[in-house]
Amino acid sequence: MSEQYEPNIVAFLCNWCSYAGADLAGTSRTQYPVNLNIIRVMCSGRVNPLFIINALQQGADGVLVSGCHPGDCHYMEGNFYARRRFGLMKELLEYIGVDSRRFNMSWVSASEGGKWKDVVEEVVGKAKEAGPFEQFRRNKINW
Amino acid sequence: MNNKPKIGVYVCHCGINIAKAVDVEAVAEFASRLPNVKVARNYAYMCSDPGQLLIREDIKNEGLNRVVVASCSPRMHEMTFRKTLAEAGLNPYYLEMANIREHCSWVHEDREKATEKAKRLVFSAVAKARLLEPLYENEVDVEPATLIIGGGIAGIQAALDIADAGFKVYLVEKTPSVGGRMSQLDKTFPTLDCSACILTPKMVDVASHPNIDLMTYSEVEEISGYVGNFDVKVRKKARYVDVDKCTGCGICAQECRLAGRIPSEFDAGIGKRGAIYLPFPQAVPAKYTIDPERCLMLTRGKCGKGPKCEAACAAGAINFEQKDEIVEVKVGTVIVATGFDVFDAAKKPEYGYSDYENVITALEMERLVSASGPTGGNIVLGKGEDAFVPKEVAFISCVGSRDKSVGNEYCSRVCCMYTAKLAHLVKEKLPEANVRVYYMDVRAFGKGFEEFYDRVRREGVRYVRGNPSEIFKRGDKLVIKAEDTLRSTPIEDEVDLVVLAVGLEPRKDTRQIIDLLRLSQSADRFYLEAHPKLAPVNTATDGVFLAGCAQGPKDIPDTVAQAKGAASSALVLLSSGKVKIGAQISFVNESTCRGCGYCVEICPYSAVELVSVNRMGNMVQVARVNEALCKGCGACSAGCLSGSIQQRSFMDRQILPQIAVLGGVR
Amino acid sequence: MVDLEKLKNVAKETVSREDVKYLVGWRQGTYGFRVSPHFMTKPEDADKLIFSPLCVNNLATYLTLAEKLPVPRGEEPDTRKVALMVKGCDSRAVVQQLIEKGIERDSVYVIGCPCQGVLDLEKVEEKFPGVQSPVDVQWGDDKFIINLPDGTQEVPREELLAQKCLNCRYPNPVISDVMLWEEVEAWGNGEYADVKELEAMDSQERWTFWQEKFASCIRCYACRNACPMCYCEDCVLDRLNPQWVFRSNNISENTVFHLARAFHLAGRCIECGECERVCPMGLPLMSLNRKLAKEVREKYAFEPGLDPESKPFQSSYRPDDQEDFIL
Repeated sequence: MSEQYEPNIVAFLCNWCSYAGADLAGTSRTQYPVNLNIIRVMCSGRVNPLFIINALQQGADGVLVSGCHPGDCHYMEGNFYARRRFGLMKELLEYIGVDSRRFNMSWVSASEGGKWKDVVEEVVGKAKEAGPFEQFRRNKINW
Repeated sequence: MNNKPKIGVYVCHCGINIAKAVDVEAVAEFASRLPNVKVARNYAYMCSDPGQLLIREDIKNEGLNRVVVASCSPRMHEMTFRKTLAEAGLNPYYLEMANIREHCSWVHEDREKATEKAKRLVFSAVAKARLLEPLYENEVDVEPATLIIGGGIAGIQAALDIADAGFKVYLVEKTPSVGGRMSQLDKTFPTLDCSACILTPKMVDVASHPNIDLMTYSEVEEISGYVGNFDVKVRKKARYVDVDKCTGCGICAQECRLAGRIPSEFDAGIGKRGAIYLPFPQAVPAKYTIDPERCLMLTRGKCGKGPKCEAACAAGAINFEQKDEIVEVKVGTVIVATGFDVFDAAKKPEYGYSDYENVITALEMERLVSASGPTGGNIVLGKGEDAFVPKEVAFISCVGSRDKSVGNEYCSRVCCMYTAKLAHLVKEKLPEANVRVYYMDVRAFGKGFEEFYDRVRREGVRYVRGNPSEIFKRGDKLVIKAEDTLRSTPIEDEVDLVVLAVGLEPRKDTRQIIDLLRLSQSADRFYLEAHPKLAPVNTATDGVFLAGCAQGPKDIPDTVAQAKGAASSALVLLSSGKVKIGAQISFVNESTCRGCGYCVEICPYSAVELVSVNRMGNMVQVARVNEALCKGCGACSAGCLSGSIQQRSFMDRQILPQIAVLGGVR
Repeated sequence: MVDLEKLKNVAKETVSREDVKYLVGWRQGTYGFRVSPHFMTKPEDADKLIFSPLCVNNLATYLTLAEKLPVPRGEEPDTRKVALMVKGCDSRAVVQQLIEKGIERDSVYVIGCPCQGVLDLEKVEEKFPGVQSPVDVQWGDDKFIINLPDGTQEVPREELLAQKCLNCRYPNPVISDVMLWEEVEAWGNGEYADVKELEAMDSQERWTFWQEKFASCIRCYACRNACPMCYCEDCVLDRLNPQWVFRSNNISENTVFHLARAFHLAGRCIECGECERVCPMGLPLMSLNRKLAKEVREKYAFEPGLDPESKPFQSSYRPDDQEDFIL
C-alpha cells in the first residue's frame, strides 16, 4: 500500500464503557490516529450484526465494536450477546474472503483510556495493512 | 406541525479546548451546507447561558425543530442541552450531539485532520438528527425507602441522615454488629479522639431510630427493579440465638467449650473468642451469635454431653434449629457502603509477616494499643513467661499501596497518618521505646495532618526514607534491611516489633455487589463513580449511590462527608417522590413482528413479553414492551430478525445514515 | 423399510381425524424425476402419496408459508392441525419452528418418514437426460433402483446421493406423532469437508470464488422463499425504511443480501438444502450456511432443530462463549 493510504474505520461503542473510555482518553489528552469515527450506542448488544456488513458496504475499510468486559455489562448481558453475534460475523466475513483484519471487537472499560488508544492504534494499523476495502463497496450514498 | 427537518447546528469552541485543534468556523460553514440545516453557528461556550440562549432564540426565530450541538461528550452535557430545547418548547429528544472535544480536538493535534474529522462527526449527527422523533419520559413513583449495604461509619451516617429526614432505611450489615472498621480503631488521627467514643453513640442511634430497620448478620441476596422501585431480598442468617430473648449477659460465651480458642475477627486475629460470641463489648445489637463454622453442636451435631451455652442461658435464647430467613423489602434508592479489606501482608513475603510473630499489621497494632483489645491496651509481645515489652519499634509504610508488584498502584491515603498516630501512641505508652518509620513519601495533606506529623517527629519518632528490602531474624531480634535513600547508606536495623502499614483494598466480595447492582469497577478495582469530579457519589446505575471506602480509600472525615453526600443524593429522589425514567426505550412494530420471542429471551430485565393479538380474525403472538421495565439497552433490536423491535433514538433507520456518512461513500 | 401401504393407511386415518385440516405429503410430479407437494384433505387422495428418493423438498416450509386468511366477522379461525410428512432433516425444521414459536406443537401432526438419503436431482437428470414421463425411483441396498420408461437401471448410492445427504446424521425424524417405519442407521460423521476445502484457500481466493457466485445471483429470492426458517411476514431485506439492501442487482447488493441471509440463519439453519436446491443460478448457498453451522457446532457446541424446549442460539449465550477473536 502507498504510504499515504489512510483507512476509514467505523466504530460502535457502548455508552457506558468504551465510549466513556474514549472520553477518558480525550480528557487525558491521549493522542491517537484520526482514522476512527465513533457511533454511540447504549450497549454493544444494540449493535445489529447487519451494521457491520452495512458499514463495509458504505465505505468503511474497517469496523470495530467495543463493549464492556464480560460480566461488567451495564445491562447485565448485552455484551455476551454481542460476543456471540460478532464471533460468528467475523467467521462469516472471513469465509467470503473479507480480510479478517477489517473487523475487530474489543472490551474497553470506562477507566481504560490507555487501552482505548491501544485499540485504536491496533485497529487502524490492521486496516492499513489490509489496504482499502473495495470488495463490495456501494457506489452511491444512502441516507 | 410541519415536521420537515429544520436543523440548527452549534459548534462550540469550548474556549480553546476545541478551537485550538479544530477550525470551528470551517466546521460551522460546512454544516450550513448540509441538507436540512437551516442555521449553523459557532460560539465560545455553547453550555454557557448566552450559548444556550443562542439555541433558544434560533428555535423561536428560525423555527428550528432539530438541534445538533457539536461540543463535548454527550455524557457531559446532553442533559444541559436537552433542557435548553425543552425551555424553548421543543421536545428535548430532538437533540443530537457530536463529540468533537473528547473524541477529536483533545486526541488529535493535526489541525487539518481534526477539522475534517469534526466535519464528519457533525455530518453524522445531522444525518441522525433529521430522523429523530419526539420522545416522552415516563414518571414513576419512588418507594420512600433506602437500602444501605454496609453498617460501617459510612452506612451508619447515611442511614441516620435519611432516617432523620423522615424516610425508611434498611441498613444491612454482614457481620453480627454495626460499627465496621472504625470500631476496631483505637484513636483517630490527627485529633486523637477515641474512635469508639465518637462512634458508639451513632451505633446506638441507628439501632433505636424508628425509621431504621437494622438487619445485622444479614446479606443482600438479590436486587431487581430500577430506580425508584428496587425489590430487594435480604438473607437474615441464623444466629442460633433468639435476639428477642437474648439479654446480652454473656454467660453463654464464658461457658462455651471453645471460649478463647477461636481468633476474633474484631481483634484482627490477635484476640480470641468462643463459638458463641459478641464481636466486641460495645457491639450493636448487643446480642450473641453462634459461629456455625466453629460451633461443635452445629458442625458435629454434639457438644460434650450437651451444649453448655444452652444450659447456661437463663433466657432460653439458644436455638440450634434456627434457620436463615429471607426478608423482602422494596426501596427507591440504594447506597453501597461496603468498605474495604486490609491488604494481606502475606503477599509481601520479604517482610516475613507469615514467618515472624512480631511482624504485625497496623490493624493488629490498633487492637494491641486499644484499651478494649486483648492486652487491655498494653503493648506486650509474646505470651506467658516469654512476654516482653518491645523497646525497638519500626513501622513500614506503603505495604500493599503504591506497589505495582501486588497490583495496587494507588495510594491508600490513610496509612501515613495512621502510622504517625500509632507511632505517637507507642511513644505515649512506652516513652523509652525507640520508634522509627520507614517511608517512601509522607503525605500529610488533610486538615491538621502536617501539624500532627510535625508533632510526632518532635516527640522523637524517627523517619527514615527508604523502603526495606527484607526482614529476617537474628537471635531474638528482627533485622530490617533497607537503604536510607537520603543518605545513600545501607541500613541493618535490629528491632523487636515491626508494624506493617498495610493499605486498603477493594473487598473480596466486590464482585458479588457488582453482580447485584450492575456496577463497574475503576482501574483500582474499587467501585466506579459516575463522574470522578462532578458525580463522585453516583454510579452509572440510577438510584444507586456510593459512600466510603467502597469507592476508594479515604479517611473518616471524607467517608462521613461522602456518606452525607450519598444520603442527600438519595433524598433528592425520595423527597421528590417521582423519577423520570428513560424515554429511549424499545417499542414493537406489531404488524411485522413474527412472535418468535427472541427479544423476550434476550431482554435482561424481562421487559418484553409475548401477547396474543387479533390479526384479522386470527390470533397471533407478538412482542410487547413493558415501558417501566425497559432500560433502553437495545439488545432486543439487534437480535430481532425482522427488525420489528426498535430502540427509540437508536433505531436502525437512525443509525444507518450515520454509518453511511462515516463510511463516507459519496 | 418404506411401506407405502402403511403410509397411505396412516394418511387416510390422519385426514379423517376431526382435528386435522389437511395433510402435506409428496406425490409424483408430471414429468421426469420431479415430485410435487401433495395437499390432501380427503382419504381418497392418499393413493397419490409417495415416499421415495425423489422426495427431496422440505415440506415444513408450508407450515409457515400457509397464509392466514382474514376471518370473516362472527366466524372462528380454523385452528385444526396440519399433518406433515417429514424426513429427518425436515423434522428438524419443524422443531426449529417450534423453538421459534413459528408454529405451536398442537397445530401440527408430524408423520415421520425415516429416510435413507435422497437423490441429487441435478445429477440424476444429467445422467438420464431428456426423460419426460414420470420416473419411479426406489431405495435398494447401497443403490438407487431407477425405473425408467425403457427399463430399470441401478446406480450406486454414492453416485447420485444429494450433497446434503452425504454426511447426514439425522436421517430419522427427531420429532413425530407417528413414525411410519423402522428407523435407519445414521451414516454421517458430521464432517464439513466442503467448508474445509474453502477454508483452506487464502482470503483472496475465497473472495474470487464468492465474487463469481454472487455476481451471478439474479436476486429472485427463491432461496429465501423456499427456506423453512425464513418466515418473517415482512423481510428486513425487502424493506425500504430502513433500506438495508438496494434492489439493484450488483456485486455489492448481492453480497450484502447473501451475507445478511446467511447470518440470519446462523444457529438456525437445519441444513435441509432447500435454498441451494431452488437456486436457478446454482449458487452454493449451503456452503455459507454450513460454514456457520460448523462454527456454531464446533465452537459453541450448539445444534439447532433438535430439542423443542431448547433456547434459540441467537437469543442465548454462555458466559464462557469463545472470545479469542477479541482484541
